[in-house]
Amino acid sequence: MNEPAIKIEGLHFSYGRKKVLRGVDLEVPVGSIFGFLGRNGSGKTTTIKILLGLLKPDAGVCKIGSLDSQKDVMKVRQSVGYMAEDQQMFGWMKVTQIIKWVGSFYPGWDEKFARELVDLLELPRDTRVKNLSKGQNSRLALLLALGHRPKIVILDDPTLGLDPIARKDFLRYVIGLLQSNGVTVFFSSHLLYEIEPVADYVAILEDGVIVKTGKTDELRQSVKKILLRSAGDIEFGGVGGILDVAKMGERIAVTIEDYSEAKREAIEKKSGCAAVDEVDLNLDEIFEAFVIGNRGKKVKV
Amino acid sequence: MIIFIRIEPSSPVPIYRQIIDQIRYQIATGALKEGDQVPSVRQLANNLAVNQNTILKVYNQLCSEKVLRIERGSGTFVAAGRHSIPAVERKKTVGKLLREAAVQAIHLDISLEQMKEQLEKEYEAIRLMRNKTGAKSNE
Repeated sequence: MNEPAIKIEGLHFSYGRKKVLRGVDLEVPVGSIFGFLGRNGSGKTTTIKILLGLLKPDAGVCKIGSLDSQKDVMKVRQSVGYMAEDQQMFGWMKVTQIIKWVGSFYPGWDEKFARELVDLLELPRDTRVKNLSKGQNSRLALLLALGHRPKIVILDDPTLGLDPIARKDFLRYVIGLLQSNGVTVFFSSHLLYEIEPVADYVAILEDGVIVKTGKTDELRQSVKKILLRSAGDIEFGGVGGILDVAKMGERIAVTIEDYSEAKREAIEKKSGCAAVDEVDLNLDEIFEAFVIGNRGKKVKV
Repeated sequence: MIIFIRIEPSSPVPIYRQIIDQIRYQIATGALKEGDQVPSVRQLANNLAVNQNTILKVYNQLCSEKVLRIERGSGTFVAAGRHSIPAVERKKTVGKLLREAAVQAIHLDISLEQMKEQLEKEYEAIRLMRNKTGAKSNE
């Protein structure tokens, strides 16, 4: 297989005594759109900052193509497009001024392309940054991340604070401008339903570790909830992939990853109760099961 | 060359299935007719803000079912070919859906008579829509 666009191995990081990352591993295939999902405070931004060489990890290695995030900081910055979370830009500058200014930092800046992007992203040339709408602001930040024609683009919660229409517009540009040109996109968000339509792959980060990674459409199919009828205590010891167990009246709802008939039978056998129903979940429910599911540990039936 | 497709993000139905179902529905109602061109993968992806690979998967599946056909160099079209799917296969597909409906009906205490009546109504409604749009009837 080809070298991945991004590779993260065994990443650990703490702010003082607070452990933020506890062994993050990730691989982003070349040309894919990769959704990096997690709740606020789960460590997404920290991971991205380490990836860009802006923070030094306690342990672990990050590679962007063949470049090492810690050793080749300048080269990494030159070859990656980065849009920070809530990117701050000088409000007094006009759109064309800030493009010129940012461009001056990149030897590989493509002025002609940047000018085309101004039109394509429908940005007003002579408006001051502080007077742009939220949507225009994020499109400008995208332009500034793309002007040097990077092959890898890292977007840190790019649609934060956008209304649903501006958000969809933004995602449209990600597809039309980046995916169509074979650019790898690593894109963080806390909204699974936003990531699903655009991402080839997703990884879910929770409490400093990746709790799930895979193809987006497989994630959908692999997680199911089954309902068991039971009056008393039940045990699932030895059955893997149980994300959550909840008691609902006479029924027990078990959420399972990597679902299969065989797994269902194993659960039925272990617990001694028959499954009465099998339910598909929507993405928010799947996300919830991964990040706050009790994994069958604390279940009191 | 615009087709109206609505994606329901909170649905448990995967996005590619949602798109497939809606294209099938539009062909059944005659909103899309044999020979109509559908948008390119890129166009539709852009239009819906959906990953191009998802659209590609949709088109590939619909092509393998002969609902759509790709003409190299000129685009993707609604095919005539669904009639060339063997009757057994077509029956099987519908049968699967009917079984699901029957399960629901029994579960919700709907009698066979009521169910037949409802089915007739739905069937007629789609046919009516089809006639209005001037699509060729199947008979």
